[in-house]
Amino acid sequence: MSNATVSRLLERRSPFFSGYEWVTLALVLATFAVPFLTVNPQIMSQTNLILIAATAALGVYIMLRMDLMSFAVPSFMAIGGYTVAILSIRLGITDVFVLAAAAFIVPALLAIPLGWLILRLKGVYFVLVTFVLTEIVQLLLFEAAPLTGGANGLVGMPAVKIFGFELWDNSHVLLTTAGLAFTGFLITAIFTRRYRYEFAAIEKNDVLAESLGLACWKYKALAFAVAAGVSGLAGFALVNMLMTAHPTSFAPMSSVNYITYTIVGGKASILGTLVGAILLVSATDYFALSGELSPGLYGLLIIVVTLVAKGGVIGMLTKTVQRLRGRNGGGLTNPKPALAEGKS
Amino acid sequence: MEGFIATGLIGISLGSQYTLLALGFTLIFGILGVVNFAHGGFYVMGGYVAYYCSAVLGLPYVVALLIALAATFVLGWLFEVLILERVIDDHQATLMVTMGFYLVLATGILVIFGAESPEFSFPISGVWRVGDVYFPYANMVVLGACLAAIVFVFWLVYRTNVGRSLRAMAEDRTVASALGMPTKILFPFAFALATGLAGLTGALVTPILALAPHVGDPVLAFSFLTVILGGLGSVTGATIAAFIVGLIEAYAAVYLGGSKGALTLFVLVLVILVIRPQGLMGKEVRRA
Amino acid sequence: MDGANLTRGDALRVESISKAFGGLKVFHDVNFTMPAGGLLGVIGPNGAGKTTMINIISGRLPPSSGRVMLGDTRVDSQPVYSNAGRGLVRSFQQTATFNDNSIEDNLLSAIRFSGKDRSVLERLAVLLEKFGLVENWRRDANLLPYGLQKMLGLTMALATEPRMLLLDEPAAGLEKSERGNIDDYIAFAQTEFNCGVLLVEHDMDLIKRLCPQVIVLDGGKLIAEGAPGEVLARKDVIDAYLGGSDEEDDHAQHS
Ligand SMILES: Nc1ncnc2c1ncn2[C@@H]1O[C@H](COP(=O)(O)OP(=O)(O)O)[C@@H](O)[C@H]1O
Ligand SMILES: [Mg+2]
Repeated sequence: MSNATVSRLLERRSPFFSGYEWVTLALVLATFAVPFLTVNPQIMSQTNLILIAATAALGVYIMLRMDLMSFAVPSFMAIGGYTVAILSIRLGITDVFVLAAAAFIVPALLAIPLGWLILRLKGVYFVLVTFVLTEIVQLLLFEAAPLTGGANGLVGMPAVKIFGFELWDNSHVLLTTAGLAFTGFLITAIFTRRYRYEFAAIEKNDVLAESLGLACWKYKALAFAVAAGVSGLAGFALVNMLMTAHPTSFAPMSSVNYITYTIVGGKASILGTLVGAILLVSATDYFALSGELSPGLYGLLIIVVTLVAKGGVIGMLTKTVQRLRGRNGGGLTNPKPALAEGKS
Repeated sequence: MEGFIATGLIGISLGSQYTLLALGFTLIFGILGVVNFAHGGFYVMGGYVAYYCSAVLGLPYVVALLIALAATFVLGWLFEVLILERVIDDHQATLMVTMGFYLVLATGILVIFGAESPEFSFPISGVWRVGDVYFPYANMVVLGACLAAIVFVFWLVYRTNVGRSLRAMAEDRTVASALGMPTKILFPFAFALATGLAGLTGALVTPILALAPHVGDPVLAFSFLTVILGGLGSVTGATIAAFIVGLIEAYAAVYLGGSKGALTLFVLVLVILVIRPQGLMGKEVRRA
Repeated sequence: MDGANLTRGDALRVESISKAFGGLKVFHDVNFTMPAGGLLGVIGPNGAGKTTMINIISGRLPPSSGRVMLGDTRVDSQPVYSNAGRGLVRSFQQTATFNDNSIEDNLLSAIRFSGKDRSVLERLAVLLEKFGLVENWRRDANLLPYGLQKMLGLTMALATEPRMLLLDEPAAGLEKSERGNIDDYIAFAQTEFNCGVLLVEHDMDLIKRLCPQVIVLDGGKLIAEGAPGEVLARKDVIDAYLGGSDEEDDHAQHS
């Protein structure tokens, strides 16, 4: 009799992707249409920048699944971006699939030994070490001149090719970015959902998780590697857009931007990262006349979100929708995308 | 040989500056458990307030120093009470608000004073010379002032009742308030003391180094380096580490050139963080 | 999975374990053996090092010297998760659950992390019903009453199908009326899972009711060992207990 009760309780199956993942992937996919709908270079470059920013910020989003705040995004972007620049300029490799694979795999592989070293650190110590790491990578870009071109960077990248077809003009560059962004978002969505129990457990109580048999460090290391790889894809998109790999594109302080996108958009869901990037990159553009003001705006938004709107934009929207629907919200309007999906 | 000594003097004076910055930074971490990303912002603000008072208003430099100290002290106090205190138990939130505040502060300075470096030079010029060793008087004055401030901080922390209370609060916040310590005043005081020190350092140092809205970035990075090396929260550790950092930087700049000195330091600190997260002098890792 | 699974015949042997935190010596040269499938009570005043003992056996803290053997396998200083994989699973003195996650998700996590099958829930159904966990199936763990959170934590440990349970004051914080749950839980673990139980407890009635054998830790030593009736009547044991009995932090609570 009680057996029946427990099986009945388990009948409900939770979907692999929540509504947030579907909406996010659909939005990113929709950007493929932009070059066919407009020839306005302003809109195209804006879309390009948003996609790069959002993809890079996924590195922050992934690590935040385990409550780890990472400043390492620019490092791994740089590694991905410089890998592509070196391959294309020095070795003449221009196939977009090969380059994308390299932009993902090289940072991810480098992240594994690094993660092994630093993932034992928690909270503040993890933050500090990723910050230090970003400074080191920045200095290395300048110092390792034979490889990186030092302060001049690597200029004159050839256009990438898809099936032998050159992707050279503005709209092609946007299509390349969209492809890289979609890949990054898809990998992140699958990865964070596949291991959502593990990540949520590490975030909430890693001591308990370990006592139940979870090898927390393996998941942390894996997440660090995937976050590095996805940031590397963003680095590829960035150097491809600029046709140059230069240290200033990966300034340590830019890590703050990626964190801001994720937090302001709402760190609980992948949609938050995308929405954060859309809003803030557009805002930066809107205030472009006084471009130097954007850090101040970011700062203000960070403080406001932290103090009064913990869930960020998506968190607030979710709450509002839930309130309107009463207590029976489902699907998209889930406050905790980690484990609790599909409550009814 | 003379060059070696002169470089050592530069290293020591850099070390004394880093000490002032790191002391504040480490006090904030030790007592409030907060990594203050806005620390560099208070340094820049101190520099600009001093510049405004002395170069624009024409006040004596010493008065300008005191005003810079007071202004950064007051702003730090307000920030602690109005913003930081509301999220003090959530380490990620404290990080976000201090980071946000740094951006606001740096942008505010940029808007008010512009992106250009203002004309701000030390009121004393001239060079002290023994044999072939040169040492500018300005650096000597800054060194003296920094050393005096360091002595003051040590006296305050280790020899006064306020210092005893602060150290007790660093051990355990709840116990300290249960014991009836006026934590409502001491927490903002500790924060304000630290930001005041950063402001004072900025006012002293920017006229001989550089003053621009963004000079807080490297300051933050070097404060990180120093406190990690010394052990987060350790006052003695931060002091020793600051002099190590100063000397390495000075010698590396002369003998290695480029940014190799900084690179050496950062790698050293990364290694230390990994093999000994509590730093040279730190105790058990604070449970974060 | 690392190492071999614990077979029914494996005893837990604590061999001259010492532990110090910096200058603070918690205990020195403690020895005891716990037979497979057995039930051993561990008592001692607060601060005697009972939780520390569980931390050492489970691998969370390394001993300063000595070793802990589970059958032929050394388990001290091994990763906690490997020991859990061997069937050596601990519970926590204070409530320990995954906050903001439902009872269901908490249990499913325990099953998933231990690599077990969901069918274990069927085996646990009686307990789930009895403790009132089924009634609250979809509620977030941190919103449950203290007693229920505690029972959830214990049930999660059992959901990993352990061979040896290390229970850290399971009855602490429970209402008098809820304490019978612990009796049921331990009886169930032993009969249904053939599981050995190391029971750290302050509730002397519970110890007397359940444990054929107890050991007493005090002042860094194992001061007595034997049947609870005679051990608890000894003068040195009574003296040891004249100290305080306030609740202690367990370091398991995540913040
Ligand atoms: N991680 C730790 N670091 C330092 N001291 C500790 C640590 N864990 C426990 N102690 C100390 O060891 C002693 C024993 O603690 P504990 O094992 O929790 O006792 P019990 O569970 O018997 O009440 C106490 O004095 C406690 O303060
Ligand atoms: Mg205990």
